[in-house]
Amino acid sequence: MDAFLINVLNGLSWGMLLFLISMGLTTVFGVMGVLNFAHGSLFMLGAYICLQLMRWSGSFWIGLLLGPPVVAALSVFIERFLLRPLYDRDASFQLLLTFGVMLFLDDGVRILWGPAYHVVNPPEMLAGIVHIFSQSYPVYRIFLVILGPLVGIALWAFFTFTRWGKILRAAAMDRQMAEIIGVRVPILFTAVFAFGAWLAALGGALAAPHQSVGPAMGEHVIIESFIVVVIGGMGSFPGAFIGAIILGLLNSFGTTLMPNIHNALPYILLTVILLTRPKGLFGGET
Amino acid sequence: MKKSIVICCVFLFGLLMAGSGTASASEKPVKIGFVYIMSGPFATYGQFAKQGAELAIDEVNKAGGINGRKVEALFEDSTGKPDVGIRVIRKLVYENEVDIVMGIDSSGVASAVAPVMNELKTPLIITHAATPDVTGAKCNRYTFRISLNVNQNMAMAAAVASELKAKTWTTAGPDYSFGYQSWEYFQKYLSKKKPDAQFLPVSEVAFSPSATTDFSSFISKIMNSKADGVLISLWGGNLIDFVRQAGDMGFFDGKREVLLTLGAATEVLYALKEKMPEGLWVGTRYWFQANDTPINKAFVDAYFKRYAVYPSYNAHGAYTAVKAYMAATVKANSVEKEKVIDALEGLSLDLPVGKITIRAEDHQAVTDGVWGKTASDPNMPIRVLKPIKFFSGKDITPPVDETECKMKK
Amino acid sequence: MKNLSALSVISVSLLLLFLLVAPVFLSTYWIITLTEILIMSLFAMSFNLLFGYTGLLSFGQAGFFGAGGYFAVLMLLHGPESLWAALAAAIVGSCILSIVIGWLCVRLDEIYFAILTLGFGMMLFTIAHNWRSVTGGSDGLGNFILPTVSFIHWRISLSHPKHFYFLVLAVTTLGAGLLWRVVRSPFGLLLRAARENSNRIDFVGANVRSVRLLAFVIAGVLAGIAGALFALFNRIASPEMLHWSFSGKAVLMTILGGSGVLIGPGVGAAIFFVLEHLITMFTTNWMIILGAILVVLVLIFPKGVLGSALNILSRKK
Repeated sequence: MDAFLINVLNGLSWGMLLFLISMGLTTVFGVMGVLNFAHGSLFMLGAYICLQLMRWSGSFWIGLLLGPPVVAALSVFIERFLLRPLYDRDASFQLLLTFGVMLFLDDGVRILWGPAYHVVNPPEMLAGIVHIFSQSYPVYRIFLVILGPLVGIALWAFFTFTRWGKILRAAAMDRQMAEIIGVRVPILFTAVFAFGAWLAALGGALAAPHQSVGPAMGEHVIIESFIVVVIGGMGSFPGAFIGAIILGLLNSFGTTLMPNIHNALPYILLTVILLTRPKGLFGGET
Repeated sequence: MKKSIVICCVFLFGLLMAGSGTASASEKPVKIGFVYIMSGPFATYGQFAKQGAELAIDEVNKAGGINGRKVEALFEDSTGKPDVGIRVIRKLVYENEVDIVMGIDSSGVASAVAPVMNELKTPLIITHAATPDVTGAKCNRYTFRISLNVNQNMAMAAAVASELKAKTWTTAGPDYSFGYQSWEYFQKYLSKKKPDAQFLPVSEVAFSPSATTDFSSFISKIMNSKADGVLISLWGGNLIDFVRQAGDMGFFDGKREVLLTLGAATEVLYALKEKMPEGLWVGTRYWFQANDTPINKAFVDAYFKRYAVYPSYNAHGAYTAVKAYMAATVKANSVEKEKVIDALEGLSLDLPVGKITIRAEDHQAVTDGVWGKTASDPNMPIRVLKPIKFFSGKDITPPVDETECKMKK
Repeated sequence: MKNLSALSVISVSLLLLFLLVAPVFLSTYWIITLTEILIMSLFAMSFNLLFGYTGLLSFGQAGFFGAGGYFAVLMLLHGPESLWAALAAAIVGSCILSIVIGWLCVRLDEIYFAILTLGFGMMLFTIAHNWRSVTGGSDGLGNFILPTVSFIHWRISLSHPKHFYFLVLAVTTLGAGLLWRVVRSPFGLLLRAARENSNRIDFVGANVRSVRLLAFVIAGVLAGIAGALFALFNRIASPEMLHWSFSGKAVLMTILGGSGVLIGPGVGAAIFFVLEHLITMFTTNWMIILGAILVVLVLIFPKGVLGSALNILSRKK
């Protein structure tokens, strides 16, 4: 029983991080129609900047609070000057541009901070161990499991109840219409892109105490978040939530139960969904 | 279509121009090509090795160089991938015209590269990769290894394990040849010493991809298994992550014996500091406090003075390869590749790790080894080993006829 | 519809002549590099049949490239020590895989097609990576004997860089020739029509899916052949050959060189390798520069270096 529970917790803690990252990716795709290959790099950048701020200030919370906005600011630059010129063109070019940005950022991080992995300690408050039945489990992971849904609910509330949220959903549903009724779409897009980056970087900062911070962090995460977005449905938040949980649980249970193919499971799921229900589990709505 | 081809031709001529210029210096330096992993989870290994190599080369140059010529080092990143390894070694041999290649961290890369050295007709001294194959089934005239291999390290691990209470063993390792072979040889040697030892089947052990950063599911798998002994062959960044996460999950609570086959790598000890538990049996290829010979003291002092950290076994590997090469060129009185190979065979010399002999039959160095229990020392920034178990090279190195090496001599 | 002109024939002949004669004055290192450029050109050109001509962005071509490599090595390890057998295995294997995968993928459009091909490519990658007993796992499959080519009564050893170069040159030229024929045929017209407007070609009696599938299979088989050559060249077939980041290389080279021209990807491959060589002479940070170049190219030269150069030249007329 405790083995089962530990596996569930493992799956959920990774799943929640994946959820945060995928939320950003799916929002950007839903509103702007852009699939951002560099999203994983923004996640990684969030972890590194958090690390750097921690080194300067000694506090994880400062890193967590200030890191993501720094990354969001950078993403404003990316969107405004690199991505915006390509909106009229074929979607493939946008994909390719973000691919180039990904290469740039991944290597850039290696240059600035070196190729080695860095270890980040969780903050005092969350650093302990909790006992579940006969096993110990890190408090920090439980924190992640709780935080994920909270952030999700907050965002859902934002999109459902606030004016900005409704504007975003309108723009996602029909860009031209939104423009006609006076929404300044270009600024909206920049804001959405920055928001997506903020979420990714937040995921990164939260991930830093959980796993080592290194230059390859982005590559691993980008594929998994693509899969989450596709499974859940592009542009759908409940979809991203469910998709992330599925992937997280597949990962933790797969290691024990199906060791030979456990790293193929996400792709198998991806393929099945694309072939049977391409819009994803919750797709087709925003 | 047509104009494109014209442009293409022009372009290729440009390529040609770029390619055909070669520098012709009057006093050509002796060039050593080093191939290590410089990126990814094992990047610190490459970095430490580079430091060891540069220290050795400076010492050699200060003492007059090799055959009166200066020694120059070139470093390439194998990224841990076999095809990249082959590519950079071809570059080193054909473009940079190195006189010898040294290094290789990954056993996967080493297995792919060793046969290619035959085509390149250039000697390779492996300083880290431990797969027995390169001085075993795939041994060839051009491949040497100066560091401890899986055979020797697992013989030591089995000796340590046989004295522990654990009866059922499992493993956590990287899922490529090094992980699998460590497990295979550990089982082989421990079964000999302790016939009633049990081993979990492959589906219940934990082999993880090298890119893994979250080991929690593997840790749970082991903790929930029947095993009361774990052989951990994870290394580098993987080991750092594993130990941290396992510590949080109560892995080291005493319910199981834990052996870390490469736990005494200073790259790992420096990164973990107090998060490395005490009382764990760990292995290494070289431990800087293992002996007090003047040669070792000089090496450790010089390294510490220059880099403010204690030398890891990877740094030692690179350092000793350079020194061995130096000794071989003196013995052969030449830098010619074939003569150096002949001189390396059977070469004995004193290194910081102790006295080694490079066997002529399989090109594997017979070297002493140590395992130790992690302990804290108030005067040291990292965990040290106390007590230390010493193993003599002769005891742990299998005879040539057991290694499957059939190089005709 | 372009006709064969004298200039075209001369240009092709010049290029071929250059490539034939290159080993005489190039150093071994550059012969090896040129060999790799040619192999990657074949791979990228096969990718471009789908991307440039059919309008399908596939991120999974590396799956066929790598599969071809593995089938070739498996044949050499378990079957006759023959180059032709190895190539045949690569062709048959990648053909079957691309028919099956292609049939499933061509029903989707645009982004979904791209992601599905990525998914299938990665599934093939995990097979190669996990099935240790057959594929050698993450260590790859090596240790095979490089076959000698028996030509009438000559026996040509492939371990000499020059010999291997000529083999690769021959195969790449044949592959490019095949692509050229395909692209200029009525089928090629259909491909481009399907790219422009997939609804309308139904009205002329062609089936979009069948057209795309055929293109997919041709691309997959050529990629498989390139992969077989690559595995032989490196003396090892490794799982990275099937990873989506390897597919990314084909995409990169096509963009660099230009997707509108048949040999554009080949030029892109040449640029890629030469750039890497030049940049790594000064710094190890080559990826960041590549990323920057890609960004600049996409923004300013959507037709790639070759495509844009052609544009400028044709405007000057």
